[in-house]
Amino acid sequence: MEERREHLVESELVYAHSLAAVVMLFVAAGFGFLAATELVVPDVAGGSQFMSWGRLRYDHTQGILFGWLGNAFLASLYHMVPVMTGRRVTSLSLGRLLFGIWNFLIVIPGWILVLNGISQPLEWAEFPVVVDVFVMIAVVFAIIQFLPGFFRQGMENMYVSAWYIVGGLVFTAFSYPMGNFLPQYVPGARGAAFSGLWIHDAVGLFITPLALSIIYFVIPASTRRPIYSHFLSMLGFWLLFFLYPLNGTHHYVFSVIPMTAQKGAILASGLLGVDVLIVVTNLVLSMRGSGWFPRDLALRFVGTGTILYLIVSIQGSLQAQMDLNAAIHFSDWVVGHAHLAMLGFATFAAAGGLVHAWRHVPFARFNRGVMEMAYWFLLAGVALMFTDLTAAGIVEAGIWGSAAPWLESVRAAKPYWALRMAAGIPLLMGFLIMLAAMLTGDRPAVRSEDLQA
Amino acid sequence: MTGQRMAFLVASVGGIGFFAMSVVVLGVWPGRELDGETRRMAPEHALPFTASELRGRDVYSREGCAYCHTQQVRWLERDVKRFGKPTLAWETRFDFPHLWGTRRIGPDLQREGVVRSDDWQLAHLFAPRTVVPDSVMPDFPWLFEGAADRPSQEAKDLLAYLKALGKARELAGAEGEAKVNMADMEGMGDFHSGPLNASAAAARRATAHPAIPEGTADKRALEIYAHNCAGCHGAKGEGDGPAAKALAPHPANLAGHEYTPDRIAQTLWNGVAGAAMPAWRDLPVADLSALIAVVRKLETPSAEPAPPQQIVDLGKQVYDANCSQCHGENGSGDGPAGKEISMLPANFTTGRPGVAESLRVLREGIEGTPMGPWNRRLSEAELSAVAYYVRSFYRQAR
Repeated sequence: MEERREHLVESELVYAHSLAAVVMLFVAAGFGFLAATELVVPDVAGGSQFMSWGRLRYDHTQGILFGWLGNAFLASLYHMVPVMTGRRVTSLSLGRLLFGIWNFLIVIPGWILVLNGISQPLEWAEFPVVVDVFVMIAVVFAIIQFLPGFFRQGMENMYVSAWYIVGGLVFTAFSYPMGNFLPQYVPGARGAAFSGLWIHDAVGLFITPLALSIIYFVIPASTRRPIYSHFLSMLGFWLLFFLYPLNGTHHYVFSVIPMTAQKGAILASGLLGVDVLIVVTNLVLSMRGSGWFPRDLALRFVGTGTILYLIVSIQGSLQAQMDLNAAIHFSDWVVGHAHLAMLGFATFAAAGGLVHAWRHVPFARFNRGVMEMAYWFLLAGVALMFTDLTAAGIVEAGIWGSAAPWLESVRAAKPYWALRMAAGIPLLMGFLIMLAAMLTGDRPAVRSEDLQA
Repeated sequence: MTGQRMAFLVASVGGIGFFAMSVVVLGVWPGRELDGETRRMAPEHALPFTASELRGRDVYSREGCAYCHTQQVRWLERDVKRFGKPTLAWETRFDFPHLWGTRRIGPDLQREGVVRSDDWQLAHLFAPRTVVPDSVMPDFPWLFEGAADRPSQEAKDLLAYLKALGKARELAGAEGEAKVNMADMEGMGDFHSGPLNASAAAARRATAHPAIPEGTADKRALEIYAHNCAGCHGAKGEGDGPAAKALAPHPANLAGHEYTPDRIAQTLWNGVAGAAMPAWRDLPVADLSALIAVVRKLETPSAEPAPPQQIVDLGKQVYDANCSQCHGENGSGDGPAGKEISMLPANFTTGRPGVAESLRVLREGIEGTPMGPWNRRLSEAELSAVAYYVRSFYRQAR
């Protein structure tokens, strides 16, 4: 990275989005924990409609998507973009407006509306359409806020992180309406085809590019060495933007959607695994010499995120294949996969970007020791959650393939659901510890170790 | 600068092209194919949702039902065996937005409409564990006015929607199935489904069932009963489980009846059409055997002394005049008037009520069936006589 451009960063916005991110992470995970508890003790909500499983489930994933990852990505963007372009972002006022829209017109009202029964039953699109309108506005504002600097700077100077940011924001603006508005007007199987595209585009065109932009940014910023291969970086980037959108239909294998489309999506899913292998090889080679658990926590978070990215992507490629998909689709295996992607890959990458940006905020406290503790809690939680849900999925798939009554699979899953609920405890604690690490410790003027790590 | 502009242009066109391609290849083109399939395979007359069904669909959407129940039977043997015919494109054409779902904690609901009775659905929505003790489904008390048999309009709408699931396909019948051209369904398996599990309605009047030997009422058997039956029939089989009040007709008082093993096997296998009793043919045969033994053990037949001849004569006289039209001349539930009513009249040759149970039914009638109270039309002596008389049909040849 270019030297000393941190003074161009709007630290106020990094600070605000970072704090909002971690607080909302705790709340969103709390919705998940409550929902997980209701599978173990179904009557725990006491018949309250505001605490019923379905509504909590909607708020859980939308909270993770917008409240946690959205805010964490914005915090990282406010740090990365000025450092990469050598220019301030478009406008501090626009930033304050975007912060307000994102948190007070999207996440919080979205949560409240869902709990009051105003929502739409589409995966990764559960906030009601009225909230979706503000998401579209916010995405356009983010494009105005972050992208002009890159275009002024010229394409030949664009680092791979910048490519991912441009791609991520622009294609989110395209794909978001497809998943959130279109199925309201295109019915049934036809709408599901678009829905499937969005389910994968939310991950592939919003979360993955921004998470990768952070990983590609933090590694050289931390190791002070350039990325291993710019060619591999760009190859990975273009393959990703070619293959990811073609994956969507793998969510509906053996459905009535034309088999040719299903098979194409399955092929693309397999190839995507190859692409991720290229990307991860490049990233791991760039980190060589830093060890598995680097002392720099930003690097450690993104490094762990990189490894989890490889595992979840290879898993994704395999489970899209027809034989495995026939068995494990609809089971907890897929829920485990989703947690490995969102709580593993995306959360660790976002946490790395957040830690990196946060440490450069001149007035923000940071407690390295406490943040390291959060790292271990998160890692333990996601490992337990993933292992447990994958095992549950295998058990369920076995019962579904037999002649046993449906309820047998529910009975068999109960111990696994109890353990999944238990896995939520280290995670919730880890999120609180993360927050504590950002509110205690010294300010950068006093610290030296972690900035120059 | 021109080189840079070119690069920018190429990158933009390339990137947007990739995205556009995905939308065309996986969204627009499949949509056209599905439209074609819908035109070729849909029945002549559309069957859109009614206003009530649409409101119910909104409730289903808002409560996240689709996040535990799919509405998509895949073209896989394992799906078809459990849930019935695979979902066709035309069946989903009124779904704005679709409710396919990607997770099954509970079973698929694509064919739910014909599977369960109304009272079962309402009792289950109000408090799922009263009817299915091991269920983890949330209860939805805010759709009711305090009790399962007092549904609010929202619960009625949701019930209407649930009953609409798969209805169009059912009504399309053999003619509709004939339109399914497997050549159109490239690469899909051609699976046929038998009767749906739990489906009593579809098994109306069905009495065929495989031979199920009577097992032993051991500890395991009692557990099977507790996990599957006690919610409705009660822990002691007195028909007073937590769900009983909400069901009309009330669950059978197993303790107040003697049943032949074959009758129990038949009922377990086919369910009771017109009542909430589902078919249990998805349970392993060993479990069904065990349940037969448990039901036989629950019986508390009081050794009734044979009534004097004059009582028998009075009972026969009353029975022939008032009961035989439905219950049949020899008590096998096959009277001419019984053929047209929703639930088969009681068959006394395979199930013998105790006198107390018989009198209770004669005095109170059976809610939800045409069996009304008889205490205003018959004298106490007549009631008593016929209560004894119906017991005499048990194990008699038909």
